[in-house]
Amino acid sequence: MAISVGLNCPACGGAIQVAEGDNVLNCGYCGSLLWAEGDAGVMTVAYRNVQGRDSVLRATEQWWRKGWKARDLREKGKLLECYPIYLPFWSTTTRVAGWICGYEERRHTDREGNVRTERIPMEEMVLNDYRYTSIACDPGDLGIRYLRNVGGEASFADFESIPTFESTTSKDEMIATSKQRALEEARGDANVPHITFERVIAIPKGISRIYYPVWVVRYSYGERMYMATVDGVTGNVLSGRAPGDPLYQSLAVTAGTSIGGLIAAGGLAFGLGAGEGLLALIGLVVGGAVLALTYRFFRHGSEIVEGDFEGKAADMRGKLMKEARRTFRGFHT
Amino acid sequence: MASMKCPKCAAPVEFDAGDRFVKCSYCSSQIFIDKAGAGFIYALPFSVTENDAVGIFRRWAAGPTRAKDLDKLAQISSLKKQYFPVYMFKRDVNGMEHVYIEPAASTTLPGLHNLKVPGGDLKIFDDRFDTGGAELVKIDIEMAPYLSSLPGTAKEQALVYFPIWRLDYAFEQRAYVAVISASSGEVFSGDFPKRSSGAYMAVAGLGFLAFLAEGLLAIASPVLAGALMAVTVAGVFGASNYVARRM
Repeated sequence: MAISVGLNCPACGGAIQVAEGDNVLNCGYCGSLLWAEGDAGVMTVAYRNVQGRDSVLRATEQWWRKGWKARDLREKGKLLECYPIYLPFWSTTTRVAGWICGYEERRHTDREGNVRTERIPMEEMVLNDYRYTSIACDPGDLGIRYLRNVGGEASFADFESIPTFESTTSKDEMIATSKQRALEEARGDANVPHITFERVIAIPKGISRIYYPVWVVRYSYGERMYMATVDGVTGNVLSGRAPGDPLYQSLAVTAGTSIGGLIAAGGLAFGLGAGEGLLALIGLVVGGAVLALTYRFFRHGSEIVEGDFEGKAADMRGKLMKEARRTFRGFHT
Repeated sequence: MASMKCPKCAAPVEFDAGDRFVKCSYCSSQIFIDKAGAGFIYALPFSVTENDAVGIFRRWAAGPTRAKDLDKLAQISSLKKQYFPVYMFKRDVNGMEHVYIEPAASTTLPGLHNLKVPGGDLKIFDDRFDTGGAELVKIDIEMAPYLSSLPGTAKEQALVYFPIWRLDYAFEQRAYVAVISASSGEVFSGDFPKRSSGAYMAVAGLGFLAFLAEGLLAIASPVLAGALMAVTVAGVFGASNYVARRM
């Protein structure tokens, strides 16, 4: 079986030019309008890398100084290598349209203390575009799962010189998850507390593949090797691992135990003194929460991890949705 | 780069792993590469060197859940550069594209049975591909049984060699193994020497209880409680600093 197919205009026999993702085209010779059928492919865009070695290394060094990273990282950290790669992302636009009906309940208390519940009917039209991005390959230990920035100059100029990661995940699965997420978000945006009727549909408007330039920086700290990634368009650090500092870990737990302990004590003292058991309980819970937060940093703060790494998966989905919401608002009626 | 013959003029045309359309440089024909009926062999280049692999292992070994000082005390007994084979199938199931990844070699190595094709610059693996001295792990699972058992119709199937560093190390007279993806630097590990949270919990728990008690005491005698709190702050800080550094 041949794996290559030559393409000719069925009308005039001239060679035709077709780019991946296109299905309607004109023959360059006879001008016939043609329709390409079959394995559809995806429109592909690449953004031009505008960062250089120096700016990437400088961004990494600045990043070392931020947050709770080891204080001696500036002296002990050695930048070893730094190279750009093109990472593939799926980018989808999904339109959600329809109506959501329902009601809102409001409670009124009159002078005699009678509680009356008022039902306010609601009828919300939904017409929104949602745009999502998601990495189209396994990100491994790069700590990147979606695009923070969707601007940039589209250009294939560096495409040959920068190693390109191949997209290995399914575009149809991306379309399906986008539909599902857009529906959930549209429902949230309509903000109808009690839904009695809804008719909303998600229409996939398009999917494209974006090749986005990312710089990988490897650096050493003592004998250990850490990494960071820098956005090739904006120059911001996207993700990275860095050594932590025992001083910050112990300061955190000292602050957590003292503040948490005193809040708990305060809650107990006032709550029990005033005979309000609930207040005492709230004090204990808040104190315990402060302790738990700082304990986490105390226990795991020896390595500072920024970005979407494995093991931080629990908050990944929420984060992705939040990001989508902030960056990609279409129009709202 | 691999090459094939142009179906129009038979001139050699070079193409890369991700290409679906190429242009013949002789007759300028646009050629569509149909991957449904063929099996391609791809490989990912090593972007993590031997020194990097050891450094990445030490970084991983210094992580908070690993035994204290594992990065310094682990004795690396061997470091092997290997290409591990994985099948990647793209199938059309009821109009939806699905990607399936299956192992092509049986293994007990961590991270390699719940497989995924790591991101990387896929290169066509042919006799011109430089493996850089990496050992090719022998394929002992055929592609054919997968092909007949997977749902849908074929869009593309490929064998992907993915680059790993297999690192054997010993810690307190026990042998362990870690696999480092030489494409992204991800560390896979099954069993590893763990660090106990006991000391961390003890410091945080005792500190919390001490402050709670002192806070209650402050109502009766604020001066004494204040003095005790100052001592506790110093104590918790000292103990936690010791634990964070040494335990």
